[in-house]
Amino acid sequence: MAEPAKAPVKPAKEPLRRRAVPWLLIAPAFLVMAYAFVLPMLVFFRYSVYTFERGKLIDEFSLATYAEFLTDPYFHTIIFDTVRMAAITTVCSALIGYPLAYALWRVNSPSLKRWLGLIIFSPILVSVVVRSYGWTVLLADQGPINWFLQTVLVFPEPIKLVFNLTGVVISLTHVFLPFVVFPIFSTMTRLDPTLREAAMDLGAGWWTTFRRVTFPLTLPGLVAGMQICFTLALGAFVTPSLLGGGRVLVLPLQIYTATADINWPLAAVGGIVLLALAMVTVLISNRLLRYSEV
Amino acid sequence: MATRRLPHYRHLLLGAFAVFGAFYVIAPLAIVVLNSFSSVAYSVFPPEGFSPRWYINLFDQEAFYLAALRSVILALAATAVAMIVGTMAAYSIVRYRRRWADLAKAALLSPIVLPNIVLGVAVFMFFIRIGMYGTYFSLVATHVVVVLPFVTAVLTAALANYDWTLQEAAMDLGAGPVRTFFRITMPQISISMVVSALFAFVTSFDQVETTLFLVRAGDNTLPIEMFLYLQKWQDPTIAALSSVLIAFALMIVAVLSIFLRNKELPANLLRQDKETSS
Repeated sequence: MAEPAKAPVKPAKEPLRRRAVPWLLIAPAFLVMAYAFVLPMLVFFRYSVYTFERGKLIDEFSLATYAEFLTDPYFHTIIFDTVRMAAITTVCSALIGYPLAYALWRVNSPSLKRWLGLIIFSPILVSVVVRSYGWTVLLADQGPINWFLQTVLVFPEPIKLVFNLTGVVISLTHVFLPFVVFPIFSTMTRLDPTLREAAMDLGAGWWTTFRRVTFPLTLPGLVAGMQICFTLALGAFVTPSLLGGGRVLVLPLQIYTATADINWPLAAVGGIVLLALAMVTVLISNRLLRYSEV
Repeated sequence: MATRRLPHYRHLLLGAFAVFGAFYVIAPLAIVVLNSFSSVAYSVFPPEGFSPRWYINLFDQEAFYLAALRSVILALAATAVAMIVGTMAAYSIVRYRRRWADLAKAALLSPIVLPNIVLGVAVFMFFIRIGMYGTYFSLVATHVVVVLPFVTAVLTAALANYDWTLQEAAMDLGAGPVRTFFRITMPQISISMVVSALFAFVTSFDQVETTLFLVRAGDNTLPIEMFLYLQKWQDPTIAALSSVLIAFALMIVAVLSIFLRNKELPANLLRQDKETSS
């Protein structure tokens, strides 16, 4: 391990024992990663090029499973539904998350700010299973929301809010909201307050200031939040299976079902498609972030 | 310009939206607590009556106790391993700044992009292949992988802001590297350590997507047990259990807000993690 004599701390050549320290410190992390991430992913990729026929795994190289997945309209629907669910959830989270972050930022009283912050962020501590269950109760035909709609707003019959895409989106937006609010809020707190004051002093109204100064400068936070939300929503499993009622068939559920049916090649291909979608999202949002920082 | 004025309609609008947001966030948790005291097995609003029967039913369900105990032990083990391994890695990356440091950090953060369900299926296949399926070792290792990126991101950010002259001063005064770390460096990054340990614990405790594939039928963790129960029944026993979990979450919030009362949370907790994924 010949280290060039340019290490900033000790320019002189160090004894081997000293030079090994950084490697030894980082080695355990890489060992765990190798055991439960790298090797499993290699096996996963390998299963994706096998095929599964009449209940038997055929371990010969073939792209048949990929071909099946990418040409069958059934799987097209699944991919389309996954992306649509993630997209709607992301838009809803941004529409609720941005004003909420703005309110959290603009609140003057410190105690009110702390309470609002606690309310927004503490649901992270509660299990997704519990929160999804809460939404099934809240959105049920005989639940509080339909009671309100029928009793107060005199709707003729309950609206189907649960066991369909609507319920899944409402619940997922709730689950991911803190992850959207946090990056937006943190770019807002880093915003130089003199910029807004300068704009106001130069005669810009609130709307112009917001449109020309605040919003463009907090856009990186919004993009980052939306990216986190979209990737998390792509991989959401618990909420679609509890609130989808079997009608919202998305990739994570397909992967789970295929694994349970011991059709591992199909599960692997589904997983790789999901991973590809997540990576494309990250690439697009990084490109957007680069533009917005210029 | 007028110095004093009534709240502008804009502020009222924003306030109203904040109230709506808070309501939206709290509603599903509040309804769970309300439902847990229901006197009937189906959920109906307004409630038809109140009784503690679901709590009594919950206390008879031994499966949930055991599952909760398993979840706590598993989350503690995964958090402990992730904190030790993650702190060492972050220290190595920030302190020594070798040429491979950026690459190593990117590699350690890479599982962030991977949906947990994909990781779950992948480790399931791998562990079956090598005959390590169903072992505790494999389960803990998987949970460590799930939480390690976050721990590493937060701790590298904290160590990057840490004033390393303090460390050099301590070493010059004769303290060994280990003693320096525990006595000088660690207290300086304690908030980040508490936050990342808490996040790791909660993530591991609530983990469904990976655990689902790794536990045998009799060894379910609490969220798995609840998930499977909900797929069969929807009675308020699960509401009672959820209320107990919400009470625990509130306790954590209370303890944390006392602990962090006089401390400024670093606003750039997650910033590093975005930068590196680019």
